[in-house]
Amino acid sequence: MLEVSGIDAAYGHAKVLHDVSLKIQQGEMVFVVGRNGAGKTTLLQTISGLMAPTAGRILFGGEEIHGLPAEKLARKGIRFVAQDKKVFSDLTVRSNIELASYATGEDLTQAIGRLTRIYPKFQEFLDRKAGGLSGGQREILLIGRALVGKPRLLLIDEPTEGLAAIVIEDIFRILNEMKREKVSAFIVEQNLSVVSRLADRIYIMKEGKIIKEMADRAEIAKTAELEGYL
Amino acid sequence: MEKKGQILDTFPVAPFRKGTLARDIVVIAASFTFMALFIPLHWAIDFTIFCILVLSFDLLYGFMGRLSFGHVLYYGTGAYVASLMLLHVSRNPFLAIAAGVVVGAVLAILLGFVVLQTDGAPFALINLAFNQIGFWLAASGLQQYTKGEDGLNTPVGKVGFLDFANQPIAFAFLLICLLLVFLLLRIFTLSPYGVTIRSIKENDDRVKFLGYNIFTYKWLTFVLSSTLAAFPGTLFALFYGFVAPTIISPFGNVEVIFAVLIGGAGNLYGAIAGGVVYKLMSNYLATNITRWEMLLGILLLIWVFKFRRGLTGYASEMILRLKRKQAAEV
Repeated sequence: MLEVSGIDAAYGHAKVLHDVSLKIQQGEMVFVVGRNGAGKTTLLQTISGLMAPTAGRILFGGEEIHGLPAEKLARKGIRFVAQDKKVFSDLTVRSNIELASYATGEDLTQAIGRLTRIYPKFQEFLDRKAGGLSGGQREILLIGRALVGKPRLLLIDEPTEGLAAIVIEDIFRILNEMKREKVSAFIVEQNLSVVSRLADRIYIMKEGKIIKEMADRAEIAKTAELEGYL
Repeated sequence: MEKKGQILDTFPVAPFRKGTLARDIVVIAASFTFMALFIPLHWAIDFTIFCILVLSFDLLYGFMGRLSFGHVLYYGTGAYVASLMLLHVSRNPFLAIAAGVVVGAVLAILLGFVVLQTDGAPFALINLAFNQIGFWLAASGLQQYTKGEDGLNTPVGKVGFLDFANQPIAFAFLLICLLLVFLLLRIFTLSPYGVTIRSIKENDDRVKFLGYNIFTYKWLTFVLSSTLAAFPGTLFALFYGFVAPTIISPFGNVEVIFAVLIGGAGNLYGAIAGGVVYKLMSNYLATNITRWEMLLGILLLIWVFKFRRGLTGYASEMILRLKRKQAAEV
């Protein structure tokens, strides 16, 4: 589904990604792990169209998507959930979903139904401004919004970062639901408990390079081994 | 009942309900009619025209977050085109309105492609630059048509009951115009289009991630806002029967910006309330105090600092506090 071949990316003269290659199959949940500064977020931003790679190719469904603006990628079914948990804070929770519903053409009732199914508490918050949500609730809203219109691929940057343990379990439950429904996802994550329970494949990054790929469930489940890379 | 840890600090936003529009229209119409009983009628007419201009600006600034220092360019264009239409083509006021609005729209369509290449301060200033050009054209560059500083006297004809020389009739007509603009903007801002432009105000990039071509939305909003600004310009020309370059002076933008800030940006009720409060302050001060501009400036500064979210924002906070108090008592 997504094939990244030999991409480089740089901030000015500082090269951040070096010859990165990876692939995501239809229905796979793929994680990227690595220390801070390893280039994980840059990789996600490059795939999502926020940054232009300086070399290499990015194919999505066999089509070159390198250099396409974010709105065109979105129309191809790629959704990006950024790390900063920024919702449209002045809009209501309902309007946040409406916005995605209008763009994708999915029925609003259906979209809101999905959101309240994955997180029932939203039922009572629908007509409140999203700016008042907690960090975890914002993340869930962002994931719920990204799921509107049945995306072909979700790119999620550190969904559990800075969240309390109880909220991390909520996020885990939602990601697990996505996995059961075979939603393809590429997720940057540092929480190894979440990664080891959900990943179909893991890429480990260090200093802008992918240093290891793990696709064996038994190997992935060994959290202790993964810790060695963080 | 909300529990701690949930969203206690948010003001609930009522969903759009049938009948709300009718209620809004009745409230505004009644308020303006009531106000007209206590102030000179020509003031009420002037306030009504100004409030339409403020509403148009609120769409661009309050709802989409694009501050322009050149909004009165379109107001002035509407006024001049309507005047020229009345002078040279027909004395029919409706034709004058149509001509002013169409030319304002065409100007916005063209300039929109240029000014929307920028954002933030450059957007505000490039609009100011175009406004300044418009002012120069009216005052000097096109003075064989505009009569420069002398201005244009515009003969307005009667159409059926509509006689702009009759103040009560003119007021009724202008009030209907205000209500129509309010109605149009209310429908637009509550529609999917409204949700989209409010989200563009918050974060352009995130809207792109949802698949929206945000330039189209920004351009449409700019054109709609500017066209709606040309409309009260035509009404000004019809009511006063005279147009001079001061109507297109860039200083006029300050009045509109202050009015939106007084009322609360991004709220149509706020735009109308802000327009009325600004005009009341400036008119009363100008009538009673010699150096009134300085006092007005001080009053506006105090107002903007004291009520940072405007009248409507302040009202929302008061309601929220009341609800919290009631919840605490339970």
